[in-house]
Amino acid sequence: MAAVKQTVEHVQSLERYKHGFVTDIEQDFAPKGLNADIVRFISGKKGEPEWMLEWRLGAFERWLALEEPDWAKVSFPRIDYQDSYYYAAPRAKEGPKSLDDVDPDLLETYKKLGIPLKEQEVLAGVVGAPRYAVDAVFDSVSVVTTFKKELAAAGVIFCSMSEAIREHPDLVRQYLGSVVPVSDNYFACLNSAVFSDGSFVYVPPGVRCPMELSTYFRINAENSGQFERTLIIADKGAYVSYLEGCTAPMRDENQLHAAVVELVALEDAEIKYSTVQNWYPGDPETGKGGIYNFVTKRADCRGDRSKVSWTQVETGSAITWKYPSCVLRGNGSSGEFYSIAITNGRQQADTGTKMIHLGADTRSRIISKGISAGRSSNTYRGLVSAHPKAKGARNFTQCDSLLIGKHCAAHTVPYVEARNGHTVFEHEATTTRLSEDQLFYARQRGLSEEEAVQLLVNGFVKDVLQELPMEFAVEAQKLVAISLEGSVG
Amino acid sequence: MSVIASIRARDVAELPGKRDEDWRWTDLRGLIREAPEPSRPYSGDLPAGPFAGLAAEEVVIANGEGGAHVDVLPAQTRRLALRFVSQGDGGHAARASIAVEAGGTLVLLESYEGQGGYLGHAGLAISVGTGATLERIVLADDSGDGVTVSQAEVHLEPGARFVQTVLTSGARRQRLETHVRHPGGHAELRLDGVYLLSGKRHADLTTVVTHEGLDGATTQLAKGVVRDQARGVFQGRIVVAEGADRTDARMGHHALILSDRAEVDAKPELEIYADDVACAHGNTVGALDDEALFYARQRGIPEAEARALLTEAFVGEVIDRIGDEAARDVARAWVAGRLAGEG
Repeated sequence: MAAVKQTVEHVQSLERYKHGFVTDIEQDFAPKGLNADIVRFISGKKGEPEWMLEWRLGAFERWLALEEPDWAKVSFPRIDYQDSYYYAAPRAKEGPKSLDDVDPDLLETYKKLGIPLKEQEVLAGVVGAPRYAVDAVFDSVSVVTTFKKELAAAGVIFCSMSEAIREHPDLVRQYLGSVVPVSDNYFACLNSAVFSDGSFVYVPPGVRCPMELSTYFRINAENSGQFERTLIIADKGAYVSYLEGCTAPMRDENQLHAAVVELVALEDAEIKYSTVQNWYPGDPETGKGGIYNFVTKRADCRGDRSKVSWTQVETGSAITWKYPSCVLRGNGSSGEFYSIAITNGRQQADTGTKMIHLGADTRSRIISKGISAGRSSNTYRGLVSAHPKAKGARNFTQCDSLLIGKHCAAHTVPYVEARNGHTVFEHEATTTRLSEDQLFYARQRGLSEEEAVQLLVNGFVKDVLQELPMEFAVEAQKLVAISLEGSVG
Repeated sequence: MSVIASIRARDVAELPGKRDEDWRWTDLRGLIREAPEPSRPYSGDLPAGPFAGLAAEEVVIANGEGGAHVDVLPAQTRRLALRFVSQGDGGHAARASIAVEAGGTLVLLESYEGQGGYLGHAGLAISVGTGATLERIVLADDSGDGVTVSQAEVHLEPGARFVQTVLTSGARRQRLETHVRHPGGHAELRLDGVYLLSGKRHADLTTVVTHEGLDGATTQLAKGVVRDQARGVFQGRIVVAEGADRTDARMGHHALILSDRAEVDAKPELEIYADDVACAHGNTVGALDDEALFYARQRGIPEAEARALLTEAFVGEVIDRIGDEAARDVARAWVAGRLAGEG
């Protein structure tokens, strides 16, 4: 029995969140609460033009009229929107000009996180470091943006949203809110009113972005809601791959994260958007303290033959509630959604996608792998619809769920709406537990139970992992293993 | 919010509508603006039902009048035709309860027939005992102006067998709903359905199966063919409660859309709270296979005939699963008639 005990202890130690620490950097806070003055404060703090303030105030007014939705299969205590800070920025140091100027505590934080993408080297300015552009979002304000010059040479704009509002107001005004309208939903509307910062990407016509763009989101200040706003535009024939990864410090109060991500793909353009999400999932016993991740992500395949691909690995957060979607407007446009959602402990996830076929000959593909363990709940919810003009629309959907343990739950809720006679929609779903035979076989070959489970789970999610950019896939594979340790034995 | 309450109280506000998640594709609230008068008693002669001559017993509930309480005793084997007949433009609700006691056998031949712009509701309470078998075959041939909602609550004992096939040509709005509480214990459940819709007809097959015990099995196969401006809806939910291990549930829904203005909406749902299960669903929506059509034409079969042939074969898979031979023949003839009638 000693071995069992050891395993249990090992597992318990693993379940302690690795990234649970809070960096002590002085912060500028807006007063607690939410009203028109706070919105003005945020806008003023960021030195925004009048039109942006108007936009925010308009959103705030609409938000007041909206009701919080409750249809997802998740439960959480009511959020008191007046009991949060809506703005927290690292104390300004006259805009860091080079990496040496960056707050050493911040760099230390990256170190602790063990950022795998060699950003450490990048941030440290190591010669010959790989070329990943890192737009580091430290709490709410982008502190440093690297590789800007090389991107600028290619004509690619990659900067923080606040900078884009200042430097590229025409682009921002043209596209902001054009994919996710201000009053699209409760959380998107809230975001529109109080969004803190985020990334802005514009890839000009015919340009293939010379590097992967990546950003690290990190929630730091106690009680500061995060409202990132990301806008990516791929002009005609352009290509960009964007990586988003997340870790967050441990805390005791639930924290709301309501980001909005908008992607616009014009004619023949392609956007690949990858996410690894590993926010604090809450205490594994009680579920207390985890992040609420209520995100609106949507892509508009506006141009003919455009393509958007979403890949996500969701392992963190107490509650994940998001549906990265594609509006397939252009003829011949295509959308993809590859997802791994893992819930353990008391986590709840209600995630999936929407593929809205509007144009002719549009194609979409959905591969979703859900894994639930512990006392968690994992729901795939998706919509595939073809409108009368979407002749020749095709969809293939596969959602598989894996259950590990007696007290977890897995749900599959696909909606299919076909409104013309020239569509082909195929959907298949399975829910099972790990095969006893396969486990037995792996164990017979000398693998421990945990290793055997990891092996089989990795096989289960392989289809999605291989869609991730290489450097992300490695991290994701590790994450999958870490997330599941403690769910067997 | 319920259809019966709405009919009884003559209050349209009680009707479910598209804002109710379970009714999003079958909106009654938006369709019925004024509560209908209560239906008058059925007048005139009753025509023969679709299963005439197949069952020794026949129960007719016309415009909500009359009722049925059928109790099949142990070791009894019975065949029963149960007819819900609607006439006129009024509203009415009917009730029937059917119990098959342990070891009994019943073939239930249920039909919905009607003329006029009625709003009809049928509520059925069905229970099947240990070792008992109930085969329920529903043939819904409603009026194109009528609105029908049928809701059956089925309770199974361990070791029971309940198999069902629903065939419908739709109505102005129609929903045929079956809820089954599945105790596991090697009880066997099959829930099949076919909808063949044309014109502006609408049919909604909704099923909810809740597995509550160990060793339960469910199979489900629904197929639909829609043309013109018709709309077919399939909502199937399988719930496996915590502890209902070794559940095996398979669901399939496949639909053909044969015109540009027809619509199919589907939601095959799995809600699983136990880990030792094997649950799967498959859902396809599309047009007839061009290659199969080409092959048939190459063999000298005219296009219209080839289409009918392929469509009939598509639906035939469900018909073949009907256990009762006489009912299967009626079903097959009905399908052929519907498909030929619309060419």
